[in-house]
Amino acid sequence: MISTRAFVTGLVVAISLVAASSAAAYHTRFVADNCNNAAPTPTSYITRDGSATVALRARYEGYQWAGGCWNDNDRDDSPNDPHEDAATGGAGGDCSGFTFKVWRESLSTSDAGFQQWGMLRNVHGPYTSAAFKAGTGAPNTTVSKAALIKMDALASDGHIGLIYATNPDGTDQIIEAKGEDYGTNIWTRTYRGSSSYTGVRRTGWSS
Amino acid sequence: MRTPSLDRRHAAPVMGVVAGCAVASLLVAAIGGTAVAQRPDPRVRAVFEVTHLPPLLRLPGERVHLSYDVHCTREGVEFPESGCDVAGTVYVRIGPRDAFRPLRLELTSVDGVPRLTASVPTDLTAARGFEYYAEIEAAGTTDRILVPAGGVDAPHKSLLLPNPTEVSLGVHAFGFVTPGARIVSAPWGDGSASVGLESGKNLSAIGASAFDVSADGTVSLLDEAHRRVLRWQSSAAGPMRVPLSIDGRMADMSLDVDGSFYVLESVARPGQTPLVRHFDSTGRDLDAVETAEGGSSQVRMGPKGPVVLQHPSHQWMPVADRGALVSPRDQKRNGRIGRPLRSGAEVVVLRRRQDILSALVSSRGVERSWRVTSGTPLAEIQLAEPIGPRFLIVVRAYSDSASEFVVLVLDRNGVVRTFSTPTDEWAEATPLGRFRIAANRLFRLGSDGRGAFVAAYDLGKS
Repeated sequence: MISTRAFVTGLVVAISLVAASSAAAYHTRFVADNCNNAAPTPTSYITRDGSATVALRARYEGYQWAGGCWNDNDRDDSPNDPHEDAATGGAGGDCSGFTFKVWRESLSTSDAGFQQWGMLRNVHGPYTSAAFKAGTGAPNTTVSKAALIKMDALASDGHIGLIYATNPDGTDQIIEAKGEDYGTNIWTRTYRGSSSYTGVRRTGWSS
Repeated sequence: MRTPSLDRRHAAPVMGVVAGCAVASLLVAAIGGTAVAQRPDPRVRAVFEVTHLPPLLRLPGERVHLSYDVHCTREGVEFPESGCDVAGTVYVRIGPRDAFRPLRLELTSVDGVPRLTASVPTDLTAARGFEYYAEIEAAGTTDRILVPAGGVDAPHKSLLLPNPTEVSLGVHAFGFVTPGARIVSAPWGDGSASVGLESGKNLSAIGASAFDVSADGTVSLLDEAHRRVLRWQSSAAGPMRVPLSIDGRMADMSLDVDGSFYVLESVARPGQTPLVRHFDSTGRDLDAVETAEGGSSQVRMGPKGPVVLQHPSHQWMPVADRGALVSPRDQKRNGRIGRPLRSGAEVVVLRRRQDILSALVSSRGVERSWRVTSGTPLAEIQLAEPIGPRFLIVVRAYSDSASEFVVLVLDRNGVVRTFSTPTDEWAEATPLGRFRIAANRLFRLGSDGRGAFVAAYDLGKS
């Protein structure tokens, strides 16, 4: 009887230990296993369509606080990560890292040029959503919200999303890295009318 | 020399640990099978997406240009500017008895985005309505997109408003708002009468994502973070809690007359579309169905059951018909441009750059319509719904620093009553879930730093 109880106790402890260690390892492996530090490719011909393509390739990917690396396999490779922990090393960008890569900006805030970053390049860029909201950086400027068009952004102190399309009811379809529980996708939003949000534009597009 | 050996007392736990490791490893491998299978696929996938803003309503004499933004890049091509050749045809007809007329779409570029366009012939735009759908192809591939998704079975419609009631709002004066009477409120927190905020300490707050009000005045608030509904009956002191098996993220909700309710989730599992879940009044799971398209923004009750506004088709699609679930394929085939009301009529709305058009439509065609102009930018139409012989529109007026909702009670002659409300959107909710009408009252979902609340406005005799 004692042996049986001990056996069961040991079994439970072992299952817990193995499961815990497995989960911990799982949540820290995506960036380490897949992402790189490759240099970006400077490019002079950049269109809003091209940036929409960058964004659409990130659609259905995950969300990683302070992150910026994804692989275009249309799923979150690190689901259920702890919230807002830069060390979890999961798949996806956060809202400002996603915007930085989609707008193909430079790590230097004084450089307005275009840099093509690979999907698997793990880069967040120098801007928070609040910095984008303020129009910080040479490539970025604030714009009246009524004048925003495709691939312009709406930014608040805590979030930024890109305008993908407009709906007949006046809402916008926003492509955004929304959060750990949401990942990166297109959702209907009312950011344009919200007084928390400011219109932001990346400048210098080729027509 | 004695070989170390385990006595019987220690052998069992050690064997347990060994067996446990083996069993746990198998369990983790099985449960985490998806994780193992989720090894990154570095292949660059093709992009092929189309967006289209349909001219659902129009005024006499207006030319109609149909346009489709196309984003297309071939598989394996990493450089996002490379694009691919696209072509398309839009099929147009006046009504169901007519043959579709093909119009070749012409490729242009607007603001650096490839756009396929066609002008609708004037004999069609002069008619009371016309309907159309487009087929867009990536050249050299079998890839084809139907817009809307139901194609010939559920084309878009464009209705002519021959004589809409004109309403001019002038320049909106911000700061003169009617907050309404708070009829229920719940503090943020994890208590039994509290409402939860979704996880994330630094992200924008999300919580109390939807609500609805039944005819007897019972208020149901979706507390998605706690996976439950809080229900306030007028006679009860505090809310009743109804646990729900939902995913805990921003969702919309609509009550049926039998007390059951539908929850439209906003996040789907990989490779799937969001679910509409059906619960009875006690929260018991009844059934669930996938939406046809990935982007859905509202669930409301139609004459035969719940209907969902789905994007990118921008159509209201039935997800259940007299209790029977509707498959995604049949949802697409039954898409409609207007929101079907329980009465059988439909409401069609279109916010344009310079105005808002709204129409109440029956099987005979447009019954009543309004054109609202404003000197201040208007954002989303939160609500458009008949209320007796009158018609209610709630729309957001905004500037770069301010935002309010404008409530318009309209009749055939114009504005019967108008007032503004604060937006009170400290926490994010489902985008078009801020307002409901019940028993001649308007209800508004709001939130501030203390909690969520519902405010009511008496709209008077209709």
